[in-house]
Amino acid sequence: MLITKKTKLAEVIHQNYHLIPIITRFGINFGFGDKNVEQICEKYDIRQDFFLEIINAFNDEDYSPINKLQNLPLEITVSYLLKSHQYFNKVKLPHIENLISKLEWTSAENKKNKSILNKFFIQYRKEVTEHTLHEENEVYPFIIEIEKNYNLSQNNIDFYRLLEKKSVIKYAETHDELNTSLLDLKNIIIKYLPPSDNIDITEQILNEIFDLEKDMKDHTDIENSVVIPVAIKMENKLRKRFNLK
Amino acid sequence: MEKVSFIIAEKSFVIRTGLMKIINSFTETIIIKEVTEYKTIIKYVNKLNPDFLIINLKFIEDAYDDIRKMFSENIKTKFIIFTGTKRSKEHFAYFDEQISVDDDKTTILKKIQVLISGIIPYGNEDNNELSEREKEVVKQIALGKTNKEIAEELFISVHTVITHRKNITGKLGIKTVSGLTVYAILNNIIEINEAS
Ligand SMILES: [Fe+2]
Ligand SMILES: [Fe+2]
Repeated sequence: MLITKKTKLAEVIHQNYHLIPIITRFGINFGFGDKNVEQICEKYDIRQDFFLEIINAFNDEDYSPINKLQNLPLEITVSYLLKSHQYFNKVKLPHIENLISKLEWTSAENKKNKSILNKFFIQYRKEVTEHTLHEENEVYPFIIEIEKNYNLSQNNIDFYRLLEKKSVIKYAETHDELNTSLLDLKNIIIKYLPPSDNIDITEQILNEIFDLEKDMKDHTDIENSVVIPVAIKMENKLRKRFNLK
Repeated sequence: MEKVSFIIAEKSFVIRTGLMKIINSFTETIIIKEVTEYKTIIKYVNKLNPDFLIINLKFIEDAYDDIRKMFSENIKTKFIIFTGTKRSKEHFAYFDEQISVDDDKTTILKKIQVLISGIIPYGNEDNNELSEREKEVVKQIALGKTNKEIAEELFISVHTVITHRKNITGKLGIKTVSGLTVYAILNNIIEINEAS
């Protein structure tokens, strides 16, 4: 189904409940009656064209938002990416960690299983935090600066200095996936970990991981196919303007 | 495990999507290219050398007495022709399989299944046990060794270590060092207090 500005938001959720976290990420709360996307976006002051691209891309794997997103201000995309970071770090990962800590085994291996799983997950959380913090502190602000200066008519000397030191290209070259360890964790739980006493918790953990993995994949796709190429294009033009290599 | 690769050459979005859905419903398959322009088919097939090319009859109407002549001799590709309506098989002696728009779901799935099993024989894909050598490599990885250190430790080349790692990841579905460490501990390849 293609979601348009006339689609009722309640209908969107009935049709695909996996969109719930995406919708709440925009700050939209429930109880929206029969309001459609247009009305909701107006109420919450959300850019409708951006919202539609994100929600359609998440809803339908064959829907490609790349072209349209590339033509919207990077600032909007970046602020959405920031919210996703928060959702990963503050909501999803702590929740999964908490579920993992609840797993128990009635066997001599209990302590060992608990300790290696916890250790694995804490290590993974650390990696995600490092990745997202680097983007939040270094990459995103730099990209916002690039866009700002790109739209300026005169050259800014402070930005010139910045451009001498930094480049989006460097970030692009080393930009990792966020979800590789989640793939591992899935297989560890599905295939290799001895069955725990809490099948219900294991089921929840797997569901959570599958959701998060898709969310992270879409996130990284937007970084790699929208933010990075657009920023690089702008950066290159600015370098020319400044006669920088 | 190496996947069975497909190129789909089909102009119509609706049909292409359908074909891709069918191919993707098999876990052993991967679609490496969708081609919508007649001109680029030969280039992509010669370059990517897929296991299968699914091609609409319309694309090759002129050459359909022998499609192979259109492509390089070095490719391993088998040809699946997609036809709009049923035509008798004799017309397509040079094709390996024919899918028709009239085929029902089960028929198509069976045809594809047979083709895939010609590439990956059954029983083969189940052997995901690590060899003794691979277990040793897993152990070294879990101990926190680099590829170079592992190579020295096991008297093999770095290149061989990398190949082992690839195979291990393929067999276990685990890629990261910390993931492999968990695997190693769970399977008593190393002790928990040895882990890096
Ligand atoms: Fe990010
Ligand atoms: Fe990222």
